[in-house]
Amino acid sequence: MAVERLFKDEATEEKGERARMASFVGAMAIADLVKTTLGPKGMDKILQSTGRGHSVTVTNDGATILKSLHIDNPAAKVLIDISKVQDDEVGDGTTSVVVLAGELLREAEKLVGSKIHPMTIISGFRMAADCARKALLDRVKDNKDDAEKFRSDLMRIAKTTLSSKILSQDKEHFAKLAVDAVMRLKGSTNLESIQIIKKAGGSLKDSFLDEGFILDKKIGLGQPKRIENANILVANTAMDTDKVKIYGARVRVDSMAKVAQIEGAEKEKMREKVQKIIGHGINCFVNRQLIYNFPEELFADAGILAIEHADFDGIERLALVTGGEIASTFDNPESVKLGHCKLIEEIMIGEDKLIHFSGVEMGQACTIVLRGASFHVLDEAERSLHDALCVLSQTVNDSRVLLGGGWPEMVMAKAVDELARKTPGKKSHAIEAFSRALIAIPTTIADNAGLDSAELVAQLRAEHHKEDSNAGIDVITGAVGDMSVLGISEAFKVKQAVLLSATEAAEMILRVDEIITCAPRRREDRM
Amino acid sequence: MAPSMAAAQPLPSSKTESYVDNKRKDDIRTANIKAARSVADAVRTSLGPKGMDKMISTATGDVIITNDGATILNKMEVLQPAAKMLVELSKSQDVVAGDGTTTVVVIAGAFLKQCQTLLHSGIHPTVVSDSLNKVAVKAVEVVTAMAVPVELSDRVSLVKSASTSLNSKVVSQYSSLLAPLAVDSVLSVVDPAKPDLVDLKDVRIVKKLGGTVDDTELVKGLVFDKKVSHAAGGPARVENAKIAVIQFQISPPKTDIEQSIVVSDYTQMDRILKEERSYILSMIKKIKATGCNVLLIQKSILRDAVTDLSLHYLAKAKILVVKDVERDDIEFVTKTLNCLPIANIEHFRAEKLGYADVVEEVSVGDGKVVKITGIKDMGRTTTVLVRGSNQLVLDEAERSLHDALCVVRCLVNKKFLIAGGGAPEIELSRQLSAWSKVLHGMESFCVKSFAEALEVVPYTLAENAGLNPITIVTELRNRHAQGEINAGINVRKGQITNILEENVVQPLLVSTSAITLAAECVRMILKIDDIVTVR
Repeated sequence: MAVERLFKDEATEEKGERARMASFVGAMAIADLVKTTLGPKGMDKILQSTGRGHSVTVTNDGATILKSLHIDNPAAKVLIDISKVQDDEVGDGTTSVVVLAGELLREAEKLVGSKIHPMTIISGFRMAADCARKALLDRVKDNKDDAEKFRSDLMRIAKTTLSSKILSQDKEHFAKLAVDAVMRLKGSTNLESIQIIKKAGGSLKDSFLDEGFILDKKIGLGQPKRIENANILVANTAMDTDKVKIYGARVRVDSMAKVAQIEGAEKEKMREKVQKIIGHGINCFVNRQLIYNFPEELFADAGILAIEHADFDGIERLALVTGGEIASTFDNPESVKLGHCKLIEEIMIGEDKLIHFSGVEMGQACTIVLRGASFHVLDEAERSLHDALCVLSQTVNDSRVLLGGGWPEMVMAKAVDELARKTPGKKSHAIEAFSRALIAIPTTIADNAGLDSAELVAQLRAEHHKEDSNAGIDVITGAVGDMSVLGISEAFKVKQAVLLSATEAAEMILRVDEIITCAPRRREDRM
Repeated sequence: MAPSMAAAQPLPSSKTESYVDNKRKDDIRTANIKAARSVADAVRTSLGPKGMDKMISTATGDVIITNDGATILNKMEVLQPAAKMLVELSKSQDVVAGDGTTTVVVIAGAFLKQCQTLLHSGIHPTVVSDSLNKVAVKAVEVVTAMAVPVELSDRVSLVKSASTSLNSKVVSQYSSLLAPLAVDSVLSVVDPAKPDLVDLKDVRIVKKLGGTVDDTELVKGLVFDKKVSHAAGGPARVENAKIAVIQFQISPPKTDIEQSIVVSDYTQMDRILKEERSYILSMIKKIKATGCNVLLIQKSILRDAVTDLSLHYLAKAKILVVKDVERDDIEFVTKTLNCLPIANIEHFRAEKLGYADVVEEVSVGDGKVVKITGIKDMGRTTTVLVRGSNQLVLDEAERSLHDALCVVRCLVNKKFLIAGGGAPEIELSRQLSAWSKVLHGMESFCVKSFAEALEVVPYTLAENAGLNPITIVTELRNRHAQGEINAGINVRKGQITNILEENVVQPLLVSTSAITLAAECVRMILKIDDIVTVR
């Protein structure tokens, strides 16, 4: 009667309760994995690669951890995706979003267990999320008009973001770096023009912000090491020889002299090319490809600074910041846009020499040079700083600010609780559950800090029962404190994104009642 | 009914969960600490002037004997992630200070040992980590206060610190020779315009087997570990040399586009041979016309840099040829010779040449090297020719010399000296425990433990020297309590003396970076609660 075989041999199918269980368990496992990294006293994870080299990464960044996991459970993959999206969209809160989604599912599981239909739960969650968002909107502060205050808001946000990362010891220093860098952008969210260079050696405190652009390359031999008012031509062209690109092209000659002539002609062609390049009226030439000895010498003779083998990323950025265009033909000097900068010079960071372009066309460009004891530290510092930069650049556009330290969650939970009381019917259970899930975030922060979470959260809830409370968890002293006094702030955009995407993800997983795993594609003779 | 059930459930369930979780996490942390400590224990015995060496046989079958912490750890190929971090730590110290690569690992190991006890007594890892950070900051203050400023003109002090570094190495008996050598070579590359920066790339170390370490010398000029091309009997010694560094080839022409010469009859073959000859001859004539008599030819992968034929003509023209100079070396060579590289025969002009008094081939041991001395307007570079009776000694001598060079570089960067022989560590320990009494709560407890941990350095020094560590450390503590802040272990005499008078000194940078880096690394290990396997 039933269809004999609907699927291929190895395909599996899980239905109803089992399917839901599988996705709940998977999602919660992921949430629990990253849970301990949440908050200023969150712990780090070692990511040990099974691939070549067994390289080791130490990180506190939720998105980085989740991105690199081997995951088989489909629901867990959904959580990883929302974390990734959070990373792309706002840059921070990648752990929070997963933890919240996990908590929502944990609550939902209980509701489903007490025979409430998933659809009822979903509509309850939706109402709750909407209400929570409104509650946040009511409490946001916007200091856009007051430059002084706005800057201090940014500093606070940067410090809050950094405090959970490796940079926490020097957060003052790095918050300033990040704010300065983002302020230079003047509202654009294009983080491309902030370049981060990592150099091992020194300590994190030695990191600095440099206006201008730094290229980790060498200046050619015998060329000027310092140029003022530089005209820069950025190019991607072969500076060895212009080869005939037809396969099998060859010349046939009958004497050595002719070979010499051809060689001479090739050299001559190169010289012409160099002359054309020089004809652009430049004094700095940056090429993505190698510059061979011969053209290098020609450039040296012409007093032009030539930089070879700048990588793709390097020249694109350089073209961007100096306002030039990447050229690959040199026949029409008038149509090529040159880049300009005030000064090019060689500088030394640690043991290495780098080339420094200052006074570039695009004023917002800047470089952050990170110094640190080892590559682990540097990589993690870069990730942390990137998070801070993302959040800040978002905040510059959307200047609404909230307090941190579990404050937004408590505000939302309070509003959602009130909603639950007003809502008739089964939905109110779901709404209540939503509020419990929200409270799980301050609970986790307190747990990670080794504090008595039950006590603290209860105190916090009591505080929030008063109107306009600024209470949050002060992890350092281990008590409930006034977040506006402690200067712990978060961007509204981050919190909103956390709330909405976590709810959506939970909803999506909740709707699932059947998992079909397709048969793996056959691989021949491989393992 | 349902909500009350749901409300009652979460608390107890999360309690048990977190308990189980914490247990597992403690296990991972303990495992990490254990692994890292065993790495530290492995190199512990090589600390100090009487430290022992390690013999490492690598996967490829090579044997290395060394006393250099960074090298030992690098070759150990550890797999455990936390242990790997200690290896990285040693590498960082190598980059920052160049010396003290063993010390830093030993200190980190001692810190970890204390962490284990602290964690065991139920202190939260972040509290331990924060206190460790405070210890590091305070320690740097204390050490800086102990330091003695040094002038670069004070050659004696510089030599002293270089020889302290060398004393713990295989080549310690030659420290009287190598230490001044290291000092001289670093000082000669210091650019007066930028007195705080030294680029050690300007000091080139050339290794040559044969002789003893005694024969190591500093060459004011260039040394190539190559023979002069003798194929056609060219000169092996040129005085008043005019040197050209060329990046083109003196060989029959070759085009970039594929080419073939079609020979259709016998007479043509003859003609081609003749043409080849005249082609090369015309090149050599152009070279000779500028008065050049020494050619340094860059290695070429595309075609032969020189052929037998061109060598023959060059020999006839009395031009000394050194071939196969690596492209990476060209910058160093041109900087030293104060000349410009020449990439095309058309650009061969007299103003691009460098001048030197003598270019000669010298027999060294079983091989030969080319020396260029008496260079006119020489750039700020030096070359050290290291000799050794076997490859192992030679390699170790190079590593030791590198350490010594780094020590001198540290002093150029940060012109302060500090006593060696465990004196700073014991002083730190004393001052930090005094400081811990002013602090409150957990912090005070943690700082006190870390203060004790720092005693590991003098303890190990004494142990490695075969002294009774407990007697020595307690006496040392006693002397420091009486205000003799420079009292340290004199390993040679086996007793405690004023170590500053014994000329055992080291740069401040080595000590400070060892403590800060070790603290940073330990803090990182402490914060880890999980190891996740990823792609």
